Amino acid sequence: MSEKKIRVLMSKPGIDGHWRGGIVVSRAIRDAGMELIFGGFQNAKQIVESAIQEDVDVLGLSIHSGAHFAYTKQVIDLLKEKGVFNDILILVGGVIPAQDFTKLKEMGVANIYGPGSMTNDIVEFIKTHLKK
Amino acid sequence: MFDKDYLEKIKLEKEKWEEKIKGSKERDAKFVTDSEIPIKKLYTPLDVKGDYLDKVNFPGQEPYTRGVYPTMYRGKLWTMRLFSGHGTPEETNLRWKYLYENGETGFSAAVDALTFNGIDPTNSDAAPEVGTSGVPLYCIDSLFALTEDIPIDKISVALVVEPFTTAPVCAMYFNMAKMRGYDIKNLMGTTQNDILTMTVGYIPYKNSPPNHLLRIACDFIEWTVAQKNVPKWHPINFTGYNYREGGIDAVQELGFVFASACSHIDNLLERGWKIDDFVGRLAFHLAAHKDFFEEIAKYRAARRIWYKLMKDKYGVKDPKNLGFRFHVQTAGSSLTAQLPLINIVRTAIQGLEANIGGCQSLHTNSYDEAICLPSEEAALVALRTQQVIADETRITNTIDPLAGSYYVEWLTDEVEERVWKYMDKIQKVGSIDKALSSGWLYKEMRDAFHKRRVRSEKGEEITLGVNKYQVPYDTVTDVFRTSQKAIDIEVARINKLKARRDNAKLEKILDKLRSVCEKEENVMPIIMEATKEGATVGEICDIYREIWGIWEPPLAI
Repeated sequence: MSEKKIRVLMSKPGIDGHWRGGIVVSRAIRDAGMELIFGGFQNAKQIVESAIQEDVDVLGLSIHSGAHFAYTKQVIDLLKEKGVFNDILILVGGVIPAQDFTKLKEMGVANIYGPGSMTNDIVEFIKTHLKK
Repeated sequence: MFDKDYLEKIKLEKEKWEEKIKGSKERDAKFVTDSEIPIKKLYTPLDVKGDYLDKVNFPGQEPYTRGVYPTMYRGKLWTMRLFSGHGTPEETNLRWKYLYENGETGFSAAVDALTFNGIDPTNSDAAPEVGTSGVPLYCIDSLFALTEDIPIDKISVALVVEPFTTAPVCAMYFNMAKMRGYDIKNLMGTTQNDILTMTVGYIPYKNSPPNHLLRIACDFIEWTVAQKNVPKWHPINFTGYNYREGGIDAVQELGFVFASACSHIDNLLERGWKIDDFVGRLAFHLAAHKDFFEEIAKYRAARRIWYKLMKDKYGVKDPKNLGFRFHVQTAGSSLTAQLPLINIVRTAIQGLEANIGGCQSLHTNSYDEAICLPSEEAALVALRTQQVIADETRITNTIDPLAGSYYVEWLTDEVEERVWKYMDKIQKVGSIDKALSSGWLYKEMRDAFHKRRVRSEKGEEITLGVNKYQVPYDTVTDVFRTSQKAIDIEVARINKLKARRDNAKLEKILDKLRSVCEKEENVMPIIMEATKEGATVGEICDIYREIWGIWEPPLAI
């Protein structure tokens, strides 16, 4: 019997089009043998709907616009409202100042990946921190 | 370029020298350029091929390898133009004045994601991004606020918007200038208007399909320059910088830029214009990346390639239209959130490349680029960095100082040859809009992303603080944040405008715009009218979406 593949949704909340980070991480996740669902531009409602429909284990939010607090809060509030927050590991990547990591973690983000992050660290973190 | 007998003598001596050093160990490293051109341990006159007068010649003379102007920086220094915008138009206006007082000689408006994509701040999906990555320019009132007390008749302004919002934002700017009493025939400035920036540099949010983007980009070139409404404007700036930042190399950067330029030229020729009617106003924006000599060779090769394209392919008559004029931006993607002060060193070296390479205008990045929008202090350090190059290093004493370097001349030839080959490859795919809609360009970008990641993880591409001498992120830097009130301010600005304008009159104009879009006529005249009457950027772009549809780019992972 084969082990169930880890399912990851990669989304870009908002409308900012910096796309390299999201694609690089998506590729690395796929190369690591996980199931990657690329959501692209999605608002909070669409992200949470996709996460539930696709039954994902991990949600990656790629944010380069500086609006990381607003978008992350919208998504987490809605995940909680739908009762799935405790099932999904939330990761945020992008141009995020290190000063903001603590506050994002307090909001419920498991880890944050700023510029220069190594993709194998992300893969390793996912494997060892799944919520379910 | 050298006497044949003398070359023979050098060849013999070189063989002896090679014999002598045979077996000596070299470091365990790949000696290649960033675009993977293999590099020899030494270059000599044997590597420099061809005739000096044909290939290099004098500045301001064909094929312009040494520079587009006869005197270059001895006549006039490059324009120091910092890309800048944040928060609200009023906040950006203060930053612009601050930089101007400190010696900046050109302005460049970085706009926010809503302005880029033609979305009004009343859209709740996008509102958190008002002013976060540039200045919000949603209506004509924003343009008045942005340029208040700034002598726009004396200093040139670059509006960094792309084809989807070029017409509304620039029409707002031109209308504002007219209302202030300026004759727009004398206005100087640049619109980026680059189809590839908002398709492969960034991905577009609810923009129209590429064939329409290409056409409206050309509408703007036609209306400003060919029809002479704003003849001193640069109506397009082919911005290799933005896709280079994505990870493609120097050869691909020039390949993308020239293939795109040819598609625009072909479109305008099909409309019945002659090449000399518009080509002299086309501008370019390239990157200054990490490979010092390859970048300098790239600028020199670019001038020669453009000259040949114009002369041989398009039959340009006026010599003024043969020169490749370009702005440079140092590489934001080379900067790190770790050890941010090292970014000042990186930027200084990259700025030097651009100046040794003979750029016409330069943006130097702020050291906090990988962390947040530039703080005032960081922006000033960036400006001072190019002022150090201009005023203290004396590199401006002579023109094209690296010409005649065996290595640089060889590398210039090598880059040129590879760019021609790459352009052939792109042109086989078709015009630039087809290279986009077929997904070909997305695959090129994807491969570049992947290659960079592998190189970085293998340590083949070293970045201090990231994969060598690693350190955690620095939290000491003072993070510059935009005003949280920006959304309220911008929504209020739009509401005030909507209350003031004649909505019935505007509706009729917008209906005319619908019909212009359907018939694929030049959109500029009607958008000049619409923005004068108070149409917002979002309202105009919504009509584009309604008539031409929304395009989902074929991204590749």
